[in-house]
Amino acid sequence: MRRLAALRHGLANWRTVSLCLLIVLLIYQVIIPFLMITWASLKTARPGDAAFMEWGFTLANYVRAWADAAFIEATINTLWFSLTSTVMAFAGGLFLSWVVDRTNTPFARFIGMMTLARIIIPGVLITVSWILLISPNIGMINAVLEWLTGIKAVFNVYTFWGMVWVHGIEMIPLAYLLISSAFQAMDPRLEEASTMTGAGTFRTLRRISLPLIAPAIGAALLLLFISTVETFEVPLLIGGRADVRVYTTEVFFNTARVPTDWGLASTYSMALLLISVVLLYFYFRLLRHGERYQTVTGKDYKPRRIDLGPWKYVTCVASLLLVFMITGLPFLIMLYASLLPEDSVSMIEPLEMLTLENFQALFNEQDAFDPLWNSTLLGLGSATAVMLVVSAIAYYVHKTRIPGRKILDFLAFASIALPSVVLGTAFLWFYLLVPLPVLGTLWIIGLAYLTKFMPFALRFVSSSMQQIHVELEEAAQVAGVPWWKNFFRIFLPLLKPGLLAGWFWVMVHAFRELTIALMLSRADNKTAAVVIYDLWENGSFQALSAFGVMMFTVLIVLVTISHAISRRYGIEEQT
Amino acid sequence: MIIVENLSKIFESKTERVAAVDGVGFTVEAGEMVTLLGPSGCGKTTTLRCVAGLERPNDGRIQVDGAPVVDCPAKTFVPPHLRNLGMVFQSYAIWPHMTVFDNVAYALEGKKLARAEIRRRANEALELVQLDGFADRPAPRLSGGQQQRVAIARALAGSPSALLFDEPLSNLDAKLRSEMRSELRRLQQQVGLTSIYVTHDQSEALAISDWIIVMRAGRIVERGRPTEIYRAPKSLFTAQFIGNTNLIPGTVKAAAQGGGPVRVETAMGTMAGLDPNNDLKVGEAVRLSIRPEDLAITGAGAPGAENALTGRVRVATFQGSAVEAELAAGEETIQCHFGRDVELAQGAEINLTFDPLSAVVLRDEALEDELDAA
Repeated sequence: MRRLAALRHGLANWRTVSLCLLIVLLIYQVIIPFLMITWASLKTARPGDAAFMEWGFTLANYVRAWADAAFIEATINTLWFSLTSTVMAFAGGLFLSWVVDRTNTPFARFIGMMTLARIIIPGVLITVSWILLISPNIGMINAVLEWLTGIKAVFNVYTFWGMVWVHGIEMIPLAYLLISSAFQAMDPRLEEASTMTGAGTFRTLRRISLPLIAPAIGAALLLLFISTVETFEVPLLIGGRADVRVYTTEVFFNTARVPTDWGLASTYSMALLLISVVLLYFYFRLLRHGERYQTVTGKDYKPRRIDLGPWKYVTCVASLLLVFMITGLPFLIMLYASLLPEDSVSMIEPLEMLTLENFQALFNEQDAFDPLWNSTLLGLGSATAVMLVVSAIAYYVHKTRIPGRKILDFLAFASIALPSVVLGTAFLWFYLLVPLPVLGTLWIIGLAYLTKFMPFALRFVSSSMQQIHVELEEAAQVAGVPWWKNFFRIFLPLLKPGLLAGWFWVMVHAFRELTIALMLSRADNKTAAVVIYDLWENGSFQALSAFGVMMFTVLIVLVTISHAISRRYGIEEQT
Repeated sequence: MIIVENLSKIFESKTERVAAVDGVGFTVEAGEMVTLLGPSGCGKTTTLRCVAGLERPNDGRIQVDGAPVVDCPAKTFVPPHLRNLGMVFQSYAIWPHMTVFDNVAYALEGKKLARAEIRRRANEALELVQLDGFADRPAPRLSGGQQQRVAIARALAGSPSALLFDEPLSNLDAKLRSEMRSELRRLQQQVGLTSIYVTHDQSEALAISDWIIVMRAGRIVERGRPTEIYRAPKSLFTAQFIGNTNLIPGTVKAAAQGGGPVRVETAMGTMAGLDPNNDLKVGEAVRLSIRPEDLAITGAGAPGAENALTGRVRVATFQGSAVEAELAAGEETIQCHFGRDVELAQGAEINLTFDPLSAVVLRDEALEDELDAA
């Protein structure tokens, strides 16, 4: 009897109820997109047709895709583009992390900071700014080179290698982040111990340093590769004219542009999904492998900096140049192009021709700022929603013993395998079928963002959550504090650093996101990034740049405000 | 034999210039274990790392077995892998991607030995640390104590001319630490290796060393046998850093004569103790250091008798082998360590006395901050 009463009490316990609600939410947000894509790939009917919902499947789409030379070409392009971009970004990231963390190069900290500051520049603007620099017709660098040497169009961005260059440059900050954390995870004592046994530099490198760092480096390479497979901006803006088709653009054009081909879109999606699931499997295996190698670290860890002597000025100039290309150039080019006269067909105009008319036109146009407002709303709203869901998940997973909590972790993390184009497609189709009035509103984009950003936000919160000892909560329980009060009074304040960092990350990424927003956009829910793409399609790079500058401005204002807020909280915590 | 002369190491950052080691010199005789002891930041680890070759000193000379490995005036610097020294790290520094055997055998690889010989010597080293059954285990799947044994076997395997220990036991729990402490001492004596041992743990230093060198702020404070350092420290710093002691403030009333005791005027009356430096003058501010175990209970003594204290029991705790008590004597708190049969009631007044030969009188100096930092 007593056990039954306890059980009933347990069922009634609304902690269990809210856990179930969370699981339902996650199944809805994460599992349905996977099912949606798989289901559609096995159907020849389109979503909305009666036959689409019937029980009965066919492999016709796969057969059609495999027979198509375009599919094979897209596969080769996707893999080759990913491999080359990965190698380039890795080389750049390795160089920067070595310069910043391991040498006495002047301005090392500034270089590291500026590399990471790139996060606030939307990918679509980076791509556009490189087109404005090295396109064969209007490219600024080409124009300068022609003036100097008389040779026309030295560089051409509309080629495979142009794509690799732009995407490689764009990924260097991620590579830098991954590589420098891999190096920091290694205890320098392990190398010293090798030296003390009489091993020289080379043997230590070959037998100790390289094998120890290998899993983390392998994981970094895989993540860079996966990121390129899923990337969209560069293939969309450059790949079209360069005639380099990859999976992501094929999904997009077959879904969102006439003529639509649902069957092909879903097979390409499945191929993307397959690559990303397989690679992620190896990624996590390597990561676990690497963690096993982390041993007790002495408290006196000090990374040793190499004295480069006069060479430090060479590394300084080289890395400043690289960082300028990564972070400074897109911004400056945008700013410059926004001041060019509207009818100008060249990137080079006399200084006195520069004008503010593009901004005037922007301000005169009605509703011109709606997309900026949409992006802001999506940034703030989805960051807040994601952090709420994710902190509840992290709480259940790390701080309770309720059975089923592990499912939460798995579900929330599974969406990392969904590339953005696939996610966008799945959401579009699902809400074509389900009569919820979200199509064409910000809601559908926001819901997709929830799925997209959850796994990343979860990592920020989980690591802070694990640092909070169970005894803290038990102490509160013994003191008779109800658990929800406990959550708000004990957990939230202690989680603040992780929450703020995660919130900030999601806010910035949701603001600048293009792929999902573009796939789900209709007339009234356009975000700033989507407008940039529209303007690009219209061929007006001056208006685009003016709008781009406005987008920058809004994002910088948002970043500054949230930084000020988090710093204030940080200081309060210390006093 | 290791000879260190006038060693200095300066760490420079943008804001400051710190002399971590400042003119340190000592000798380690063949087969001896010398401990560098001091609070954190005293330069002991930096000194050791200079001997190892992992830091390049700014000044000084170091010789290992007669060969100079560092000679700053002559700009000689032998890189660490050519010094033939073994080192045991605080964090064990066991290579996690290798088995136990590979960790040890790696130390023999550079020696151009036959494979069978490497195998034999590595197994011998593992046997020495009683890990012979663990050879094929992946190194991370060992307990902390076992990892430390692997580290020791690895350091021993290459038959180095000397062993360097950098706080090797500080990551172990208390029980394991005292076990490993005796084991280390046994090994060191069995193998007869010249060793330098760095620690901030005074009981560890007392237990395993032939000689203790006490360091403070980059300099050597004093050097002595463990028993000397404990019984007759030559400075207030050493007295307070090593073991528990009562430090009663006072002024010198009569200086020592012919090795006899010094007389000190304190708030509790006149007390006598030894002057280990033989240089105290009348009127100097001093502290009388009495170890808690040197205080004995007596009956009511004659008023004004020397070395007599009266205190009220504030708290007494039974420790099994002993009774520890804290007494209030005027302004001072006196710590006592009695035999297990003593029974003390709280608030009881008791009389204590001590042998003048067991107390030392030391020149007073301000130390508090530094010891707190340790």
